Amino acid sequence: MTAAPATHVGSAAGRPARTRRPRLPYPVWVKGSTALVIFALWELFTHVFAPHYVARPTRVAAVIPEVVTSSEFLAALSGTVVPIVQGMVVAVVLGTVVGLAMGQVRWIDRSLKIYVYGLFALPMVAVLPLVTMWFGYTEGARLAIIVFAAFFPMALSMYDGSRSVSRDYLEVASSFRAGRLAVWFGVVLPASLPYVLAGFRLAAGRALIAAVVAEYLIGIEGLGFYILLNARSFRHNEAFVAVLALALFGILTLFLARWATRRWCPWYRQGAG
Amino acid sequence: MRSTPRDINAVHDPAAATSRIQIRGLGKYFDELCVFDDIDLDVGSAEVVTLVGPSGCGKTTLLRCIDGLVAPSTGEVRIDGAPVVEPPEGVAVVFQHFGLFPWKTVFRNVAYGLRMAGVSRRAIAERVPAFIELVGLRGFENSYPYQLSGGMQQRAGLARALAVEPKVLLMDEPFGALDAQTREVLQFELLRIWDTRPTSMVFVTHSIDEAVLMGDRVVVLKGRPSTVHQVIDVDLARPRTRATTTDPRFHELREQVWNLVMSTPDDHNSVER
Ligand SMILES: Nc1ncnc2c1ncn2[C@@H]1O[C@H](COP(=O)(O)OP(=O)(O)O)[C@@H](O)[C@H]1O
Ligand SMILES: [Mg+2]
Repeated sequence: MTAAPATHVGSAAGRPARTRRPRLPYPVWVKGSTALVIFALWELFTHVFAPHYVARPTRVAAVIPEVVTSSEFLAALSGTVVPIVQGMVVAVVLGTVVGLAMGQVRWIDRSLKIYVYGLFALPMVAVLPLVTMWFGYTEGARLAIIVFAAFFPMALSMYDGSRSVSRDYLEVASSFRAGRLAVWFGVVLPASLPYVLAGFRLAAGRALIAAVVAEYLIGIEGLGFYILLNARSFRHNEAFVAVLALALFGILTLFLARWATRRWCPWYRQGAG
Repeated sequence: MRSTPRDINAVHDPAAATSRIQIRGLGKYFDELCVFDDIDLDVGSAEVVTLVGPSGCGKTTLLRCIDGLVAPSTGEVRIDGAPVVEPPEGVAVVFQHFGLFPWKTVFRNVAYGLRMAGVSRRAIAERVPAFIELVGLRGFENSYPYQLSGGMQQRAGLARALAVEPKVLLMDEPFGALDAQTREVLQFELLRIWDTRPTSMVFVTHSIDEAVLMGDRVVVLKGRPSTVHQVIDVDLARPRTRATTTDPRFHELREQVWNLVMSTPDDHNSVER
């Protein structure tokens, strides 16, 4: 019987209550100046070498207010964000349950593992043409490809977590006569939280890529398509605002996950987070 | 099956007539490795039997068999006459490494057994505080295990076991992971608690002092595979307190157990190859 390694919090005999290393105040100017240097170089190079329609930080900044209030941009934004959120919900729920079941039930593991591994490794771009055959050049196809992209990392992560749950916890649960569902969702799932979070991050990134790629190739309304159209019509600054919006959305998702973890899982303390 | 020389105490034991736990011819193999063999033991309904033996001699495995967490290879365990095939109702374990769920607060950890037994939320809210109070954790209901010292974590582990009002308590080196001082404090608290609600208890320890202090009988496991080497009656009066440890009889018994534990197996047992 050993303390659980997966959850950083196992048994800590004699540890005084509530020790927490104070977080170093991290100077904002360090992060800020990185961006400043990059923007300055970018501005300089485009100024010297590039034709006038190539995006520059100052010009991008100048068009931001106009772009973000345009109905065209807003429609594109919701066109991409809404299916990503929908797709992530489906992928996270399904992926968690399937991964959990694979880790806990041998025949499910045996019958699904190679397919999950295989489809995880498969580039989603390769399946896109097939998906359009089933769903047509529609928003349904985009949603399907988002789910496809996000489901497998989620399921695999949860599978790893589900298999690495400390025997101690499982023994406690069965000693107290916990039923199968109580073990799955009351023990295996929370014990796998680090894996769930890792899976979520990976899935969120892939969902974003999937949405944009789907829009490029299918040509349906969304930020990806917005970027494509504007870039083709030499409106690089406008295109860039959409790129920034995508980046912002990605960052926001990760912060949201972190915030939710802190809020609802205070027992789970990430490394130096 | 090989017969083992056993102390006559085990045979004339008056508790046997009303024994709560009956262990007969119990043996456990892990593949080729025979951990223990031919164990016979009876534990009365208000009796504490302590098990001592070298580490790796199968004490934890024996407790797991009594709790139905692993199936024995030979023989059987009966509790109140019913053969144990899965974790029975009315049996609770206190684990060496506490076995608390890090994602649950003290209250929820203590309530775990009751929840698994299908006790209603309202009944839990009524019953759990008494057990938290009993082990001296009032005010820590909403703390997470990581916020507690080892001693406090094991108090919670004890409360969780007591909360299901078990008729059999299985203690697997419950204080083994604690520092000497905390250990002593908890020993006397456990004695106090046991006096107010005597149950059948099997208490594993590698401390000879603890074995004599807690037990009505001390069972010395020995050999390869382990068998019951000797059973010593502990005729120290209850309630036992700190004063018990200064009783000359306590020291006599301690020496007796010490000599049994230290003597070579060949004195009493032939080593089988
Ligand atoms: N699940 C298992 N599979 C194989 N060997 C095991 C298993 N559990 C325990 N053992 C072995 O059984 C022996 C006794 O273990 P244990 O009951 O934990 O001893 P103790 O609690 O007395 O220290 C050890 O040699 C251990 O390696
Ligand atoms: Mg052990």
